[in-house]
Amino acid sequence: MFTRDTLEKDRELQERWKEKYQKLYKDIEFKAATASGIPVKPFYTPSDIEHIAFNEIGVPGDYPYTRGIYPLQYQFQPWVNQMSLGYGLPEQTRERMEMLKDAGMKGYFGAQSYNLPHDLVSKAGLDPDSPEARGLVGRGGVNISTIDDLERLFHDIPLDKTQIVQNIGSATMVGLAMFIVYAERRGFPGEKLGGNSMNWLYKAPFVDYAMFPPKSAFKLMVEFIKFCSRNMPRWNTTNICGYFIEEAGGNAIQEAAFTMATGIAITEACIKAGLHPDEFLPRFGFQFAQGNDFLEEIAKIRAIRRIWAKTNRERFGCKDQKSMQVRMHIHTSGCSLMAQQPLVNVVRAAFHTLGAVLAGTNAIHTSAYDEALGLPTEEAATLALRTQQVVLHETSIPNVSDPLAGSYYVEWLTSKIEEEANKLMEKIDQMGYIKAWETGWFKDELAKSAYKWREGIDNSERIVVGVNKYVSDEERKVPVFKIDPKIEETAVERVKKFRAQRDNARTKAALERLRNTARRVDEERPQGGDLMPAIIEAAKADATLGEMQGILKEVFGWGYAY
Amino acid sequence: MNASNKKIRVLLTKSQLDGHDRGVRYLARKLREAGIEVIFTRYRSPGEVVNSALQEDVDVIGISFSVGGHTVISAGVIESLQEKGMGNIPLIIGGIIPGDDMSELLRMGVSGVFGPGARAGEVIEHIRTHVAKDL
Repeated sequence: MFTRDTLEKDRELQERWKEKYQKLYKDIEFKAATASGIPVKPFYTPSDIEHIAFNEIGVPGDYPYTRGIYPLQYQFQPWVNQMSLGYGLPEQTRERMEMLKDAGMKGYFGAQSYNLPHDLVSKAGLDPDSPEARGLVGRGGVNISTIDDLERLFHDIPLDKTQIVQNIGSATMVGLAMFIVYAERRGFPGEKLGGNSMNWLYKAPFVDYAMFPPKSAFKLMVEFIKFCSRNMPRWNTTNICGYFIEEAGGNAIQEAAFTMATGIAITEACIKAGLHPDEFLPRFGFQFAQGNDFLEEIAKIRAIRRIWAKTNRERFGCKDQKSMQVRMHIHTSGCSLMAQQPLVNVVRAAFHTLGAVLAGTNAIHTSAYDEALGLPTEEAATLALRTQQVVLHETSIPNVSDPLAGSYYVEWLTSKIEEEANKLMEKIDQMGYIKAWETGWFKDELAKSAYKWREGIDNSERIVVGVNKYVSDEERKVPVFKIDPKIEETAVERVKKFRAQRDNARTKAALERLRNTARRVDEERPQGGDLMPAIIEAAKADATLGEMQGILKEVFGWGYAY
Repeated sequence: MNASNKKIRVLLTKSQLDGHDRGVRYLARKLREAGIEVIFTRYRSPGEVVNSALQEDVDVIGISFSVGGHTVISAGVIESLQEKGMGNIPLIIGGIIPGDDMSELLRMGVSGVFGPGARAGEVIEHIRTHVAKDL
């Protein structure tokens, strides 16, 4: 990438630097490493990136997309303010949606975009009257169990002009089936719906969830991708998520390697089921964390874009550019936010947001400063959105795409993370993804990193302001958001009433047909039929989320893999 | 084996619905390193927590919460412990617990509440102090 003259001059200057160093600092050795443990030097020069071919960096919007997936970045289309929001009953979540919309939250090209996590109950595929749901209804997101709930959430919203991010855990298929039926009743056919499902049936090896066993999970993910790829042209089917890997303790290298390995495993399963990669990969989305090591986190994102592009072209022979592009959302790190001196989290989240923008993400959720204390208050959620708006309008950073490109350190680190992630991916390849899942290997690796992080704080090797340094005895009180426990009763009454008022014979018959289709899919019988249409039929017959997901659990198995 | 060298047994548990297990798994490792036996489970109901405690014959129950529900579940566990005559087993709670709720939990009979940022050492000390009384 450099002329011989430049490299020679570089070596000469480095010699001079060494002389000055020895004179000034004598034998003192300065040691530092990134958060993931990559040792770093005090400065970087052309010699450090001599080995990187210029086209590995290239220009924005061109293979291997190190510098971003579009020729123009925020100059043309600012990132989506994809604020993860919602709690309690659908009406309460709708209030938050309206509040943030009024505060200027924007999706692509001015369309509204709502990033909606469902509560732990819906995510586990349960109705609110399930005994397991006690105390957890409306916690961690919105509770949805019937099509009536969807009306409470989405009434009057033009669904063809709105992006919906449906984050519904294990109930991916059931959640989207209900949404399709609801939208159809409102006059919006499936092919007009835009947004995405997470399809996070692969979450269990990283995060402690009960889930379908690995082989079933892959079968279901493939069924879902197949259906959406052929019927929902505007719907992103699968989200490859590094955020929960980081939150579980993963460092930058692990986050990059585990997400890429997950994408590869799902791609392989789809190919085995007869799909062509260019048929489904353009509808994959990604989600990553932006944590504390500012430049390493940026380098991680740039490396990920490059790894994905190369993998899909070289390993899977993709031809469609979209199959090689990482369309990503960044969720600023939640686990970096501290309960002590919570206002300091405003500063942390601002750095994380800035990092996400410098990395060239396509959408951002900025975490609220009170997340270590509870669900964000309205004020905290608005301030998080304001953080993004300040970066967009006041810093001038969006004027230039990938402004850190060419930095000796950033390019070196991008390349280093790519190299380290590739090594780890190779290890997973040799082990086999399903084996790594079943044996708990992923989880153990993450637990080791989480342990190291926490030990580092406890023995003050890692400084966290307000936690192990600059500690204050006087804790400044910030308001904590509380969910009214009565909402649980309301949700329970509603689902009971819904079941009492429907044509139960019709529901029962539709659920029976779903069970039969599910069995055929599970046994991989030829002409088994597709699962999604059967779920959609059951949703049309007013089956509840818990009833439909209950059948999938019964047929495909449920629990912990290790 | 006499009482003084009997290993303390702790049930650490978390709802099957809540995947935020980073803290509780860290604590499990720290307790084990401190010579405490840890049984880690994931419960579906307060009754299941108490049944596991009974079967495993533990000295302490610890429940981790990250998204709320701590008051409802703790009340259920305490009630069930009393019904089974196991009211002497200390119940400790950890995770994202707002300050206001801490005092309520202690009033209900929870023996210790460890919010965000609490050190594993504090939990270990609490367990040792409270179990020593029974041994």
